[in-house]
Amino acid sequence: MFYRETGQFKTSYAEDMALFPVIQDRIGIGVILIVAFVAIPLLANDFFIASIMIPFLIFALATVGLNILTGYCGQLSLGTGAFMGVGAYACYKLTTIFPEVNIIVMVLLSGFFAAGIGVVFGLPSLRIKGFYLAVATLAAQFFLEWCFIRIRWLYNYNDSGAIETVDHTAFGLVLAGPSAEPLTRYFIVLVIVIAMTWVASNLLRGRFGRQWMMIRDMDIAAELIGVRPLQAKLLAFAVSSFYCGVAGAMMVFFWLGAAEPAAFNINLSFQILFMVILGGLGSIAGCFMGAAFIWILPLIIRTAPLLFGVEISAALVEHIAFMVTGALIIFILIVEPHGLARIWQIIRQKLRVWPFPY
Amino acid sequence: MSVAEVLEKPAAEVPAAKPEKRKILLSVEHVSLSFGGVKAIQDISFDIEKGEIRAIIGPNGAGKTSMLNVINGFYHPQQGKITFEGKNRDKMRPYIAASQGIARTFQNVALFKGMTTLDNIMSGRTLKMRSSFFWHLFHAGAARSEELKNREFVEHIIDFLEIEHIRKTPVGRLAYGLQKRVELGRALAMEPELLLLDEPMAGMNLEEKEDMSRFILDVRQEFGTTIALIEHDMGVVMDLSDRVVVLDYGKKIADGVPEEVQKNQDVIDAYLGVPH
Ligand SMILES: Nc1ncnc2c1ncn2[C@@H]1O[C@H](COP(=O)(O)OP(=O)(O)OP(=O)(O)O)[C@@H](O)[C@H]1O
Ligand SMILES: [Mg+2]
Repeated sequence: MFYRETGQFKTSYAEDMALFPVIQDRIGIGVILIVAFVAIPLLANDFFIASIMIPFLIFALATVGLNILTGYCGQLSLGTGAFMGVGAYACYKLTTIFPEVNIIVMVLLSGFFAAGIGVVFGLPSLRIKGFYLAVATLAAQFFLEWCFIRIRWLYNYNDSGAIETVDHTAFGLVLAGPSAEPLTRYFIVLVIVIAMTWVASNLLRGRFGRQWMMIRDMDIAAELIGVRPLQAKLLAFAVSSFYCGVAGAMMVFFWLGAAEPAAFNINLSFQILFMVILGGLGSIAGCFMGAAFIWILPLIIRTAPLLFGVEISAALVEHIAFMVTGALIIFILIVEPHGLARIWQIIRQKLRVWPFPY
Repeated sequence: MSVAEVLEKPAAEVPAAKPEKRKILLSVEHVSLSFGGVKAIQDISFDIEKGEIRAIIGPNGAGKTSMLNVINGFYHPQQGKITFEGKNRDKMRPYIAASQGIARTFQNVALFKGMTTLDNIMSGRTLKMRSSFFWHLFHAGAARSEELKNREFVEHIIDFLEIEHIRKTPVGRLAYGLQKRVELGRALAMEPELLLLDEPMAGMNLEEKEDMSRFILDVRQEFGTTIALIEHDMGVVMDLSDRVVVLDYGKKIADGVPEEVQKNQDVIDAYLGVPH
C-alpha cells in the first residue's frame, strides 16, 4: 500500500476541509477504530483493558484538553491536575445528590463545573503571559488541592478523606463502581473519548480554533484583526477545563473507583503536560501518542526485566521511568519541538516520495 | 507597469480643484503622542480622501509607524482628534477600529507563524464570521456553510495575489517577500475601507517591489480601497501615491502631490537630499 496523494483531486473546498483529506489517512483511522472496538475487546485480558487501555484513553482526553489551551491557544497551565480534580469532585457530589441520574450524564455534566472554575483561574491570562501565567495556574493548583482536603463537604465528611464510587447501574448494566466489568467501562470511556476528540477537531478547524492559534502566534496582531483576547482566552480555558474535568471524573468513576486529593496533585499536572510536549504542541493525534508513550513506558520498564527473570522494585521502576521520560522530553525539546506527531509527519512525508526521494 | 497612466489622472486633478466633490475618509487634527520624554508625534494634522493612495514618508524615527498605530487605535494620542467616516472617535480598542474597516500590515511582518497561508488569510475574515459555538462543535450547519463561503472569498484573494502554490505552507517557512504578500492578503480579507501599509516593500528586490506596486494599484482599482502607505523608496512613492505627507522628528514638514513635495526645500533638507 502506497501512501500517496497523487490522483486524489479535491473538487470542492468542502472536501479540502475534511478532517482526513487523504484516503490513506481515512483507512488508517478506520483500522485504529476496528482495533479499538473489536480487536482489543476480543483479544485483550482484563488487566490490559483495565490498567492500560482505560487510563491511556482518559489521559489522552486530558491531554487533548491541555493541548487546546497550551498547544493551540498558547497559554501555559500547570493546573491541569486540579481541574481534573474539580471534575471528579463535582461528579462525586452530583451522584450523591442525584443518585438516580445516569452516571455518563453526570460525568459529562461535571465537565461544566471544571469549565467554570477554569474560567475563573483563566482570568489572570488577560494581563500576564508565559512563565507568569504558569505561576498563576500553579497557585490555582495548590488552592484547589487545599479545597479538596479542607472542604469536608466535598467528600461527604467521611473519615478517609477520599471519594469512592458505589455501583451505578443503567439499562440493567453496572456502568461504574466496584462490580462494573472492565469491558463495560472500557467501551464507555472509548466512546466518550472518541466523541470528544472529534468535537475538539471540529472546533479547532473552525473560527474558534483559528482565533486561539492567532492569540498563540501573535496576540497583538490578533487583536488588530478583530479578535477579542478576553473572550478567546477564556473560551480556551473553559473548553480545556471541560475536557480535563470530564477526564478527571472518568478517572475516578471508570478507572480507579476511588481517589484521594493527592491523586490530583501537581504530579498529575506535570504528567499531562509531558504528554502534550512529547506528543506535540498543537496536534490532536500527538495527544494520543504522548499519552501512550508516557503511560505505557513505565509498564514496559516494569515488565521487561521480569521476562528475563530479574526482579526490580516498584520504586526503582518509577525512578527509571522518570529518568527516561525526562531525558526524552529534553531530547524532544531540542531535536523536534513539535513532538512525536511531527516525527510521524516526517515519516509520512518520506513515505509519500518513497522510493524516489528526489 | 501602468504606473504612469495611473499617476497622470490624480496629478492633473489635484491642484485645489473641486473640493466639494472629494470625500474625506479620515482626518487627523492636532494629534500629539509622546512616550515619556520622546515626542513621537507633535501636533500633526492631515486627512485621507476616499479612494486615494496617501503616502506617509520621512526619515527613520520620524513617527510614521506611530501615526499608523494612532490611526488604528493601538496607541492613544495625548492630544488631538481623529475622525473616521465622519465620526469622531475617542479612545478605542484596536478590534473596534478593525470592525469599523481599518486594516493594516506591519513594518516587521506580524503573521501567525504556525498557521498556513490559507489560515492566515482566513483569519482576516474573523469579523465577518458570526456562526454559533454550537454548530462549530459539529462542524455542521451554519458553521460549515460560513466556513465554506469565507473560504471561497479567501481563495479569490489567493488567486489575486498569485500565492496558490503556498496555500498550505506554514508562513514561518516562507521567504520574506512572500510573507509580506500573505500579510497583504490577510489585510485584504478584512475588506477594509482604509488599508494601512507600513513599508510593504522593505527588504524586497526590484522584481518583488514591482509585483507589490502592481498589487497595491490593483487593490485600489478592484476593491476601491483607500490606502495609506509608508515607504522609503522614493521612486515607489512618486509612482504610486496621489498625495504625500512628510514627517520629520514627529512634525509635519510638507503635504501635497508628489511633484510638489519633491521640490519642497524642507523635504530635500530633511530627507531627499540626505541618503541614509
Ligand atoms: N512603544 C514605544 N515606546 C517608546 N518609544 C517609542 C515607541 N514607539 C516609537 N517610539 C519612538 O517614537 C519615535 C518614532 O518612531 P516610529 O517607529 O514611529 O518611527 P518611524 O517613522 O516609523 O521610523 P522607521 O522609518 O525607522 O520605521 C522614535 O523615536 C521611537 O524611538
Ligand atoms: Mg516605522
